[in-house]
Amino acid sequence: MTLRTLVRYATLLLCGLLMAAPLFYLLSASLMSAQDARAFPPHLLPPNVVWHNYVEAYEFLSARAIVNSFVFSIGIVAVQLVISIPAGFALATIPFRWTGLLLGVILVPMFVPANMTLIPLYIITYQLGLVGTYAGMILPVAGQTAFAMLLFRQFFAGLPAGLIEAARLDGAGWPRVLTLIALPLARPALAAYCSISFLTAWNTYIWPQVVAPDREHQVMTVALAPLAQGQYTLMSPSVGLAAAVISMMPVLIIFLVFQKWYIKGVVGTGLE
Amino acid sequence: MMATVTSTADGRAVGTSPPAPGQDGNRRRRRRDAWAATAFVAPSMLAFGVFVIVPALAGLGLSFFSWDLFTPPEWVGLDNLARLFGDGRMWGSLWVTLLFVLLGVVPTIVVGFVLAVLLNTRLPGVETLRVLYLAPMVASSAVAAVLWAYLYDGRTGLANSMLRWVGIDGPAWLSDTTWALPALSLMMIWLALPLVMLLYLAGLQRIPDDIYAAAALDGAGLWRRLWSITWPNVMQTTVLVTVLQVINFVSGSFETALIMTGGGPLDSTQTLALYAYRTAFEKGEMGYASALALFQLVLIGVAVGLVRLAAKLRSAT
Repeated sequence: MTLRTLVRYATLLLCGLLMAAPLFYLLSASLMSAQDARAFPPHLLPPNVVWHNYVEAYEFLSARAIVNSFVFSIGIVAVQLVISIPAGFALATIPFRWTGLLLGVILVPMFVPANMTLIPLYIITYQLGLVGTYAGMILPVAGQTAFAMLLFRQFFAGLPAGLIEAARLDGAGWPRVLTLIALPLARPALAAYCSISFLTAWNTYIWPQVVAPDREHQVMTVALAPLAQGQYTLMSPSVGLAAAVISMMPVLIIFLVFQKWYIKGVVGTGLE
Repeated sequence: MMATVTSTADGRAVGTSPPAPGQDGNRRRRRRDAWAATAFVAPSMLAFGVFVIVPALAGLGLSFFSWDLFTPPEWVGLDNLARLFGDGRMWGSLWVTLLFVLLGVVPTIVVGFVLAVLLNTRLPGVETLRVLYLAPMVASSAVAAVLWAYLYDGRTGLANSMLRWVGIDGPAWLSDTTWALPALSLMMIWLALPLVMLLYLAGLQRIPDDIYAAAALDGAGLWRRLWSITWPNVMQTTVLVTVLQVINFVSGSFETALIMTGGGPLDSTQTLALYAYRTAFEKGEMGYASALALFQLVLIGVAVGLVRLAAKLRSAT
C-alpha cells in the first residue's frame, strides 16, 4: 500500500516536472550569461545569476509595449463585461420568445475557426477606419461575445428562481434585479470570466499583429515574436528569454490566484 | 440547456402572476419583459453581429471576388475555386496540414488521457501537483515560440545538447525540411495538453465509483479496468477533444508556425491556414485567401463529421 502510494506520487511528480520543465528552463536560462547559455554540456541552473538580462529585456520590450498589453487586455475585458452581463442575464431569466433563436445564433459560429473570419474582420475594421488604433485592436475582439454571454447565462440560470421572482413581486424592474440581486451573487462567474478573458487577450498575437503592428501600438506578444526567428542575433538569447518571462508575469500571477475559477470556466463551457 | 430556459421562463410566468390575473395585465407585463430583454441583449448581439456574423458571411462572399483592398472588388465567380485546385502550393500546404494533424492530434489525446487518469486520484497534495501540469496554459504562442526556438537551436539548443550526450548529432530542427514539422508538432502538443487533460479529468470524475468497485471484485486488473471501463466511459469527452484538437492543429496552429518558421523552410511547415494568411496579408489577395480559408473550413467540417461517425459506429457495435 505505502509502496504503491509512493510510486504513484513519484510518477505524478515526474510527469508534472516534465510538463513544466520547458518553463523552468526558460526561467533559469533567462538568468544566465550569454556564454553560460550556450555552454556544452548545458547548465540547468545559472552558474552566475545575471539580473542585468532583465534590465536589457525591459529596454528591448519598452514600457510602451507593456502598457499597450494592459490597455489591450483590460479594454477587451471591460467592454465585453459591460455588454455581455446584461445579455447573459436576459437570456437566462427574462421570459422572451426569441431566446431560443438567439442562443442558436450564438452557438453556430463557435466552431468556425478564427482564421476564417480574420480576413473579413480586418476588412471591416479597415472600412471603419480603425486600422492602427486602439479601438481597432480592442473592439473587434471584444465583439466576440459568445463565450462571455454563455458563461453568464449559465451562471444566472443556476440562481434559485424564487429569488428573482420575489424581487419582481416586490416591484423591482429588471435592471434593479440584475444590479442589486443577481450581480452581487455572480462573483464566481466574474472571476472565471475575467481570468479566462484576460489571459486569452494578453496572449493574443495575430489580431494586434495584423491590425496595429507599429511601435506605438505594439503589444508584448508582437514585440516578442521576431525573436523566435533569431532576428536579433546581436542580443544575448538570455535577454530574449527574460523578455518572454516579463511578458508572462501578469498572466502567471492571475493564473495562480484564479486557478480554481479559471479551470471551472474552461471546462464548463467546453462541455456544452 | 435550452430546456432550462423554457422551464424557468414557464415557471416564472406562472409564479409571477398576480392573484387575479387579467388578460390585460399579463400582456402588459409580457411586453415589458420583451422590451427589457431586447435592451439587455441588444449591445452584445449588435457587437456579435458586426464582428462575428458579418465576417463569417463575408468570408463566404469574398471567395467570389478579387480584391486587393485598394481598388474596388471585382466579381470573378468561381475563378478563385478553379485557381485553388490548380495551385501546387495549395496542395503542398494541404499535405502539410494533414501531416500536422496526424503527428499532433493522436499523441495529444493519448497523453492527455493518461495524464488525466494519473491525476484523477484523491491522494493529498494532488491539487498542488496539478499546477505543474497546467503550466503550459500561461505561455502565449509568442512566449512558447521564443522558448522552443531557443531549445531547438541547432548549435546551442538544449535539445541537441542532450542528444550529444547520448552521442547523436541532432539536426538544426527548425531549418530542416524533414524535422521542422515534427518539432512544431511537439511544441503544439505541449501547449494543447493542459486543456485536453482538464476535459478528460472532468469526464473521469463523472464515472461512478461503484463500477470500479464491481470490476475490482471481479478481479479486473489495472489495464483491464482502464481499457474496458475508463476509456469507453469518456467516449463523449474523446469526441469533443478530437474535434477541438483537429480545429486546433488545422487552424489554431498557424499562429505558432507563422512566428517560428514563417512557413519555411521551403514551405515545409506551411499549413493551409498559414497559406491563406500569407496570401491575404503578404500578397494582399483577399478574395483568393478567403477561398483558401473556406476550403479549410470545409475540410474541418468533413473531419468533424468523420469523427462523429466513427464515434457513432463504435458505440453501435
